[in-house]
Amino acid sequence: MITSVEKKYNLISNEFDTYKMILNNEKVVFVPLDPANTDYQAIQEWIAEGNTVIDNGGNE
Amino acid sequence: MTKNRNLADLLNADGQIDNADIAGGVNFKNIIINGDMSIAQRSTSVASITTTGYYTIDRMRFGVNNFGTFTQSQSTDVPTAQGFAKSFKVDCTTADISLGAANYGFFNYNIEGQDLQYLKKGTANAESLTLSFWTKSNKTGTYTFELDDNDNNRSISKTYTVDSANTWEKKTITIEGDTTGTLDNDNNNSLRFYFWLGAGSNYTSGTLQTSWQSTTDANRVSSSNVNLGDSTSNEWYITGVQLEAGTTASDFEFLPVDMNLARCQRYFENFDDRRLIWTGDVTSGEEYFHQTSFNTTKRATPSVTVTFNGGNYFNGGTLTSASTYNNTNVLNASCTANSTNARGYFDYFAEADSEL
Repeated sequence: MITSVEKKYNLISNEFDTYKMILNNEKVVFVPLDPANTDYQAIQEWIAEGNTVIDNGGNE
Repeated sequence: MTKNRNLADLLNADGQIDNADIAGGVNFKNIIINGDMSIAQRSTSVASITTTGYYTIDRMRFGVNNFGTFTQSQSTDVPTAQGFAKSFKVDCTTADISLGAANYGFFNYNIEGQDLQYLKKGTANAESLTLSFWTKSNKTGTYTFELDDNDNNRSISKTYTVDSANTWEKKTITIEGDTTGTLDNDNNNSLRFYFWLGAGSNYTSGTLQTSWQSTTDANRVSSSNVNLGDSTSNEWYITGVQLEAGTTASDFEFLPVDMNLARCQRYFENFDDRRLIWTGDVTSGEEYFHQTSFNTTKRATPSVTVTFNGGNYFNGGTLTSASTYNNTNVLNASCTANSTNARGYFDYFAEADSEL
């Protein structure tokens, strides 16, 4: 079960390249932007259900 | 027999040596990876399971939805003298006596479409498939096996019976070829199967679809299927799972452990046995990257879980980012130094998951 999802930006290119997904068992999973990845698919479903991805922008 | 006679026995009608006679018959006829349940990178036992996931044995997924609570483990209880050392076991620890309509329990396996093109599904020459496996349970009765074409929303179900309680039994099921619906030639989940351990009326209220049809939920599971979640006395084992083209079940195809592990690592790789480490001079506030290659190229860019283990001048030790940069071969992780010093380091564990 997904608790939260945050966009992560590449520190060199500053491009959004990974989701940081936190599960309800507190496990932190870094998820690539690959449609064949099942966690990526789960995040898209989670967004479609009305949940919001945290976006703090790049250059953190 | 003479040596000349033995050699003649190896030749087929064309005077060639059959693949099945080479290296003990290993020709990757078994579509199932880790069917002998020997590889378990994640864990060997997980308790208190109430949701679907991959818990212990590689590639083997356990599905539960309000079906009670289970412990899932890699067991050493195996059929006698069949060559197996491990089995997949589920043990009900909290019962759910009355199944709700949408509730279920299953053992599931998923297969990439690009590995199945030789089955010629969706053509006039579609191959039949034969499944063989060993199973054991205290719960005798009817169970359902379902093969599901995920690309074309088609499926077929067959039943098998556990005849004797607490006794290993070998079962064989043949599935006719499906001349409708080709499988995608890609790395996604095209064909999957379910061993149903119980299901509510949403899945059992129709007529079991014993020939290939468009999937209708109500027709997927036999109305006579047992409910493995109805008692804490219940347990279910399986091993020696083999799915092969054709209408006969051949002997189980054992693979060397290194080959079996590498095939599993296409879908999941655990770095617990080799700690990953970055070392060098560090400046406070700067972020330092560590990159390592996976042992095996992943099916797709994997999700990565990293756990900080220790370090000098990286106190607090949160790995501030980790990614594969959309690369199926390489893991990247980084950590921010909190002091300026020579010879700093951080080390961490990682898991990479690209399961179907």
